Amino acid sequence: MTLFDVVFSGNDAAYGLAEGAIDAAIEKYGADKAVSFPDTAYSLPCYYAVTGTKVNTLGDLKNALGVVKTLMTREQRLNDAFMSGVATALCAEFLEVLKYVDNPTPYEAPCAGHLPDAAIRELGVPLVTGDIPGVAVILGAAPTAEEGVELVKSYQAQGILVTLVGGIIDQCVEMGYKTGANVRVIPLGKDVTAVVHAVSVAVRAALIFGNIQAGDAAGLMKYTMERVPAFVNAFAPLDPVIVAAGAGAIALGFPVITNEETFRVPKSLIVQKDISKFNATSLEARDIKIKVTKIDIPVAFASAFEGEIIRRG
Amino acid sequence: MGTFKLTTVEEFEAATNRLLETGKKVGADGWQYRVANQTPHCKFGEQGICCRICAMGPCRITPKAPRGICGCDAHGIVARNYLKFTAGGAATHSDHGREICHTLYCTSPDGNYKVKDPEKLIRIAKEWGVETEGKDIYDLAHEMAVLGMGEYGKVFGTQNFLKRAPQHTQEIWEREEIAPRAIDREVSCSLHMAHMGCSSEPKALIRQSLRAGLSDGWGGSMAGTEFSDVLFGTPKPIDTEANLGVMVAENVNIVVHGHDPSLSEMICEYADDPEMIAYAKEMGAKGITVSGVCCTSNEVAMRRGIPMAGNFLQQENVVLTGACEAIVVDVQCIFPALGPLSKCFHTKFITTSPIAQMPDSDFIRFSAENAGENAKLIVKTAIENFKNRKPELVYIPDMKQKATVGYSVEAIVKTLDGVTNSQVDVTGTTKPLIECITSGVIRGAVAMVGCNNPKVRPDTAHIELMKKLIANDIIIVASGCSAQAAARAGLMSKEAKDLCGAGLKRVCELADIPPVLHMGSCVDISRMMILVATLAKDSGLNISQLPVVGCAPEWMSEKAVSIGNYVVATGIDTFLGVDPYVSGSDQVAELLTSGIRDWVEASYTVEKDIEKLGDRMIERIEEKRAAIGI
Repeated sequence: MTLFDVVFSGNDAAYGLAEGAIDAAIEKYGADKAVSFPDTAYSLPCYYAVTGTKVNTLGDLKNALGVVKTLMTREQRLNDAFMSGVATALCAEFLEVLKYVDNPTPYEAPCAGHLPDAAIRELGVPLVTGDIPGVAVILGAAPTAEEGVELVKSYQAQGILVTLVGGIIDQCVEMGYKTGANVRVIPLGKDVTAVVHAVSVAVRAALIFGNIQAGDAAGLMKYTMERVPAFVNAFAPLDPVIVAAGAGAIALGFPVITNEETFRVPKSLIVQKDISKFNATSLEARDIKIKVTKIDIPVAFASAFEGEIIRRG
Repeated sequence: MGTFKLTTVEEFEAATNRLLETGKKVGADGWQYRVANQTPHCKFGEQGICCRICAMGPCRITPKAPRGICGCDAHGIVARNYLKFTAGGAATHSDHGREICHTLYCTSPDGNYKVKDPEKLIRIAKEWGVETEGKDIYDLAHEMAVLGMGEYGKVFGTQNFLKRAPQHTQEIWEREEIAPRAIDREVSCSLHMAHMGCSSEPKALIRQSLRAGLSDGWGGSMAGTEFSDVLFGTPKPIDTEANLGVMVAENVNIVVHGHDPSLSEMICEYADDPEMIAYAKEMGAKGITVSGVCCTSNEVAMRRGIPMAGNFLQQENVVLTGACEAIVVDVQCIFPALGPLSKCFHTKFITTSPIAQMPDSDFIRFSAENAGENAKLIVKTAIENFKNRKPELVYIPDMKQKATVGYSVEAIVKTLDGVTNSQVDVTGTTKPLIECITSGVIRGAVAMVGCNNPKVRPDTAHIELMKKLIANDIIIVASGCSAQAAARAGLMSKEAKDLCGAGLKRVCELADIPPVLHMGSCVDISRMMILVATLAKDSGLNISQLPVVGCAPEWMSEKAVSIGNYVVATGIDTFLGVDPYVSGSDQVAELLTSGIRDWVEASYTVEKDIEKLGDRMIERIEEKRAAIGI
């Protein structure tokens, strides 16, 4: 199977899930039922940024799915794979927003799910000043919890904002590793679709700070590629939905680094078998250069720990 | 999006028409008129069924006369003509390569010619099993030059450069008995076979055509390219400009035209000389502008960023601007029409090579031994001619495009190193390109080469095919007049990335390259052979399995046929937009378009409908991808 075929099949699977879930929700609540993420002015941020259209009800969501379908062309060309990647992200966003129907808190600690606009505004300034030199999206479970946590820690020590999706969250919990927005390690959710909450950060950064007009998909992708220093670390095994989501990340300019043996694309899809080298590989792939003054102290030292809360005991 | 816009063929033609008006005023001839005079062409010649190799003829084949006087049928005649056509091309490139070897022999530390890339010389010497340790670089240069010239008449064995091909390709050449021996021997053997009463068996004649072609591509042309790099430096990415607008009205304009960089390099050297520039100012000009036409232009553009005034069918336009003080030529593809044409203007038409002497020209015999003084004399002659300009005839079309050129194999590998990740990748290979291809980001590569031919609306086939291919995520490597067509249109500008499909566009952005890579002159098609050989070795695939094809949509010369033969014989399917005079024999046509596939795993496709030609290339590339499961 070609790489693009894998992307297409992952996209088809995500689309199928979204379609089923939307139909079931309409069946249950009716098409006029309101649907939204909490604390955002951007409706479904990814869908809004790409199309310029806001989604208010389940009926709107069903229509949006029709628009997404138009992105799902099947030529063996990168443009088609990119658009299918974007379509996959949008399907993920639809699946995620459905979790919020009649449930204001579908996510429980340590997972954050959808991040409010306020969090993005707060993170935006250090992102622009380079105080946060990058955004890591870690997806799946590392071969061992030690390796996973070590990787998270390495980014954190560099001031990089880390978002976690899937097995890595349990690995952090298992190792008793402190997470949360205050230490810039944000577990998003355990379903792969939760990755869209990280995409949503990049997209809203483009809308808020980049003055990208909603609906200007090309401008959006250019902005994220040039200005949002994000990258993805995806642990094996990769299923087609993850690969399809990865295509969406690459379309936005974010390289994907994985330890699974797969197709390789220079600067975009990089196979790195050695987890201890994920950090260096990722930073080089995204051209993130960090000026580090190493201070030889027995604890980690980085701006990421500025918001840390010291509890008794 | 920016303000980038391709220059269209319509704009090219409008400029040409304006220049032809100037021509009319002074009674100048032009190829446009001569084409009309020659049309319609003789059908027997067009089909390749006219034979004049002995004095019993000329014979021609018709339904009533199916055989010539000797008894040779249409198939034998067509195949013989094809072989002789090839031999002409192979001889031409190879003699060029020989001259370069001779120039290498003339190098000295304080002479006109120096060794500019000693590392490359040492690398080639090692390949050839020559001891390099502790040897003076000029002693080595002379030794290599003699060995290089020896390749033309070696008594035993085959061409040294064949070892650069993948093992599988070398085995094919051995098996099919097409591994080229001495270069001159293959040319002369071809002429022997095509003599009256020798070969009339199409298979034997076509087989020899492949061998003669290979003696060019992996012999003469490769020597020409490799030793030119040693002498004048291996090309690196460099910015330049293309189209007639590169000529500067206030300056002395010297146009170099032809092929051998031994001449053009020296002219450029002297045109940069402060003494010469001062002299030009003394004569009322603001400075000196050297620009180029055809392959010598490609050579100096690749190495020095000298602007490219135009390709083959632009050569008369250069003079028609009325602002050309001298058009300096050496060998190959030079219209004899430039003589009479230059007489209509103040332009000096300076021929320099005993190989290419023409009426109505100033012959300043140029040789490696007296290169300096002659180049100086030529530049001086041009400068002194500035005052003879007729201002009322001066019109330089205001059109030019930016181009980034200089993509030797070495430069391509270095560019690819730029997209590797030091944590996972090795450098110095073509692997990043292979990864782009296997993942599908780039669908494949097309080598666009060849001439202009009035049978095709000039430059349209080159430009339209390139536009179509890059929109389909197919990267282009180009050389010769095809490369110049691309440069003049703007396809070698990095901004042309916006015309690409998403895949190629991303590659252009990440690697910071234009979508059409200029690999040089026509002998530099040998660079493409080295590139494809490297791709095969780095990927573990055979050359014929790679999703790579060659294309000469507007080909014209015998050299192009020789090139086609070595490209096909190297395992690369080749697409032609002009018929190679073989339609008179279904047997020869069948051999070239399919039969030889059994020998060398590739064959020709001839398609005069340029739109379809593009479709068929894309189809073939996709077939090759499917066959290896990518």
